Amino acid sequence: MSVDIYKINPEFRDIMPKDILDLEDNATWGAEKRGISDLTDKKELLEEHSLCAGCPEAAALRYILTAIPKPEDTIIVNSTGCTSLMFPHIALHTVHSLFGNQNAVASGIKRALTWRFPDKDKDVVVLAGDGATVDIGLDYTLQSFFRQEKITTICFDNEVYANTGGQESGSTPKGQVFKMAPKGKVFDKVPMWELAVTSGCQYSVKLTASAPKAVARVVREAIFIARELGPTYIHLYTPCILEIGLSASEGLWEMKEQDKDRFVSFKYVSPEAEEFLKQCKKEGRL
Amino acid sequence: MYYVAKVNSEMCSTYKCNMCTLYCPEPNTLMYDKEQKHGNDHGTSWVDEDRCKGCAICVYVCSDLLNRDCIEMAMVTTED
Repeated sequence: MSVDIYKINPEFRDIMPKDILDLEDNATWGAEKRGISDLTDKKELLEEHSLCAGCPEAAALRYILTAIPKPEDTIIVNSTGCTSLMFPHIALHTVHSLFGNQNAVASGIKRALTWRFPDKDKDVVVLAGDGATVDIGLDYTLQSFFRQEKITTICFDNEVYANTGGQESGSTPKGQVFKMAPKGKVFDKVPMWELAVTSGCQYSVKLTASAPKAVARVVREAIFIARELGPTYIHLYTPCILEIGLSASEGLWEMKEQDKDRFVSFKYVSPEAEEFLKQCKKEGRL
Repeated sequence: MYYVAKVNSEMCSTYKCNMCTLYCPEPNTLMYDKEQKHGNDHGTSWVDEDRCKGCAICVYVCSDLLNRDCIEMAMVTTED
């Protein structure tokens, strides 16, 4: 690694497994230009994970981690859910908050870091599921937008409380039946991406994780805007293949289908953010 | 006994492509070796079989989306 966090004793290099050598030789810490092309042959920030085979959420996390511009100065705040199984395995600072209060915790961390490191860009990124963002933590999420906290919020929307057996969530579409919701959802899916715009987000995007490059670009833009202007929100569809009854290889197909249906691309960029993004492109940061 | 992805590197190295490596949900599992292989113009994808969970998304990408049929699922066998 280019930042001296991890060093292998030269005497032991010849007996070290490739996984460990890769951490020093092939990782992207401190690299000037990180991006989706690193997924092909570089050591990733995510070492491994215990999610199901073929889980689209895991793929989405790979794209997000590879798009983070400065991993050494990034802190991820996450919430209870399938995602919390992945965070012990990533080479970033992560804070696991109580269910739902992730945006409140992230606000505090961002303020403390701004005070402690006034000359440095410290990115705080919230990664939480739809239960934490849209239901249980809706209050904290929206309040952080109202206060214009400079954090990026990413919601992994699988439209169900997946790891507790399949209860309906606010973001479940109307009429959907799950194992623990046999009557079917009676009201519509909460349009969180629109609430984010109304609540003052500078940047709000809804998309599926079917296109790696698109996800990476959106994450990068959202983090840059959050650094300078204010809150940004990304609503990412990552279906739970088990709860909707698909096989392991069908997650990508499902996301491609929903690209044309419930998750037709939505993008809001405030006029200031648009100006800022143009400037970033000119400087070659995007 | 379980299935893992196996890349036919001879076919794979005829294409300038690394799409499967982007879509694999497992990190550091389906990788791309840039060195030219089998006298062809390009490198090849390869699978770390110890990490592969056998979801077959790479097969969907290679066969269904790209029509290249370079990856198949194969049963893991012990060396003896």
